Amino acid sequence: MADTNMAGGGVSAPRDAVALYETHRAALRASKRVWNILALAAFAVCLGLSVWISQFYPERLASGVPRIFEYFGTIIPDLEWSNLFAGRTEEGRAVPGSLTYWYTDFWTYAALIWETILMAITATLIGAAVAFVLSFPAASNLAPNSWVYILSRRFLELCRGIPEILLALVFVFMIGIGPLAGVIAIAIHTAGALGKLFSEVNENASARPIDGITAVGGTWMQKMVYAVVPQVAPNFFSYAMLRFEINVRASSIIGFVGAGGIGQELNRVISFYSDDRVLAVLILVVMTVTVIDLISERIRIGYIGRENFS
Amino acid sequence: MSIAALSGVTDADIAAARQSQPDAFTTPAGMVRKWTPLAIAVVYVFASMWYFDFARLLDASDRVLSLLYNFVVWRDMDTWAYRQIYVGISQTLAMAFLGTFLGTLGALGVGFLAARNVMPFAAVRQIVRRILDVLRGIDQLVWGLVFVRAVGLGPLAGVLAIFVSDLGTLSKLYAEAIENIDRKQVEGVRSTGAGPIAVIRYGFLPQVLPVFISQSLYFLESNTRSATILGIVGAGGIGMIIIERFRASLYDQVAFVVLNVLVLIFAIDWLSKRIRLWLIGAKHDG
Repeated sequence: MADTNMAGGGVSAPRDAVALYETHRAALRASKRVWNILALAAFAVCLGLSVWISQFYPERLASGVPRIFEYFGTIIPDLEWSNLFAGRTEEGRAVPGSLTYWYTDFWTYAALIWETILMAITATLIGAAVAFVLSFPAASNLAPNSWVYILSRRFLELCRGIPEILLALVFVFMIGIGPLAGVIAIAIHTAGALGKLFSEVNENASARPIDGITAVGGTWMQKMVYAVVPQVAPNFFSYAMLRFEINVRASSIIGFVGAGGIGQELNRVISFYSDDRVLAVLILVVMTVTVIDLISERIRIGYIGRENFS
Repeated sequence: MSIAALSGVTDADIAAARQSQPDAFTTPAGMVRKWTPLAIAVVYVFASMWYFDFARLLDASDRVLSLLYNFVVWRDMDTWAYRQIYVGISQTLAMAFLGTFLGTLGALGVGFLAARNVMPFAAVRQIVRRILDVLRGIDQLVWGLVFVRAVGLGPLAGVLAIFVSDLGTLSKLYAEAIENIDRKQVEGVRSTGAGPIAVIRYGFLPQVLPVFISQSLYFLESNTRSATILGIVGAGGIGMIIIERFRASLYDQVAFVVLNVLVLIFAIDWLSKRIRLWLIGAKHDG
């Protein structure tokens, strides 16, 4: 249509070109407006449906929101200045209002947090090892043949597709309550997530060292070990450390389904109405996560150097 | 030494090369430095396998087999409560959508409060940022548990949990996007005598909106995943049905529901990618 108009407009004055431009612009704007209105309508329908399905009504909110603040009020411990640092009495009882009273179970929490960190380290190491092995066949430029490539890709997708907590639930059923189920669940998820990142790093590796090893008659294995690994190792390390930080968070909640770590205790104190303990455990968890993040950042920067770190 | 003889390289040549280019050859110290961390990692993994009692995996094989069998063999499919299952899935979607939407709305305001180039008062900025750190530091699942205690079982608790944790993360990302904008457009708008609201509307928003939309769509994807597990603590959605069926040993239904959830997650990922391309073009994707 535009072509015929152009041909017709060429005969008369340039005013037609302006008119043409204006009509064309108006048409474009009109069609864009239609699309925008349609998109807005679709969005409004989605929003309305979501509000209706999740019962997100003002009166429910109005009755619920004050209870949220009420709840936050109840988790604040009754600390008293006068005996904040009071020790235990002669009978070995803690004085109410003191820090010792609030953190009576401190050593239980500390042991569970230690377990949480160990779970994260083990799961990260096992997951990273699996991801390392699979990242070479799962990289499109390195895979020895397409079957191995597709199989390893699908396997990694499956590993990261299922949420950790669901995996943990299944493993708790299979091997019983305890940290082992959590470690395996997190390790599987880590293998999937890191495998994807590692294989992307591999796909960006320079082909020249590989060509060099090919030229002197190296096998596939030798190409990977001598040409690819030295290039990608710093990035692998950095991604594994980042994953470790994520896994510390994951292992601190995976106990909700009975898979070990501080999550078990957190679930217990929240469900059994030991309200001031909730804050006590939460403070420890947030502190642990923050400290681990800081240490891990230091190690990453120290090991790889600032310039390589992105 | 036949290779050396063939190529005309003698032991003396190698020694000379080692002398002039010491870094090109492996040294015992270098080997130790390279392999020690790896050896420690291997020893640690084996030690922790003992600590976490990995041997239990071997004892569990019959239960593993029966579970896998029950996952694959589906029985009495006509008695399954499909209605309940799909209501759960729609609840999950609704929670993810509404939670992300509210989180985005909140982050639009809070993000500007936490950005250095918009908020002139450092004290306000620091307080906002520390509050955001706390919201982010506590896991979504913990927020879910807390809101279940506050507003009762059901999707409302899930929406609030997603909203609160998204508010923490999105506001931080939005604030970073705002801090990275080009000053010139802002100054241009300001030089025409525009007030602060107009400066934000015409100076900031056009630059940051693509980033905002992109981030929020990514959060919609990730929230669809996390909304499925929020139900495990009672915060509504399909997770509640999964854990209920699991406790009732209806493993075939669990497998069916999980398959449905995976399809849903893939569909949302695909849809969100299309919307991102349509709204902001390929430039900001990824």
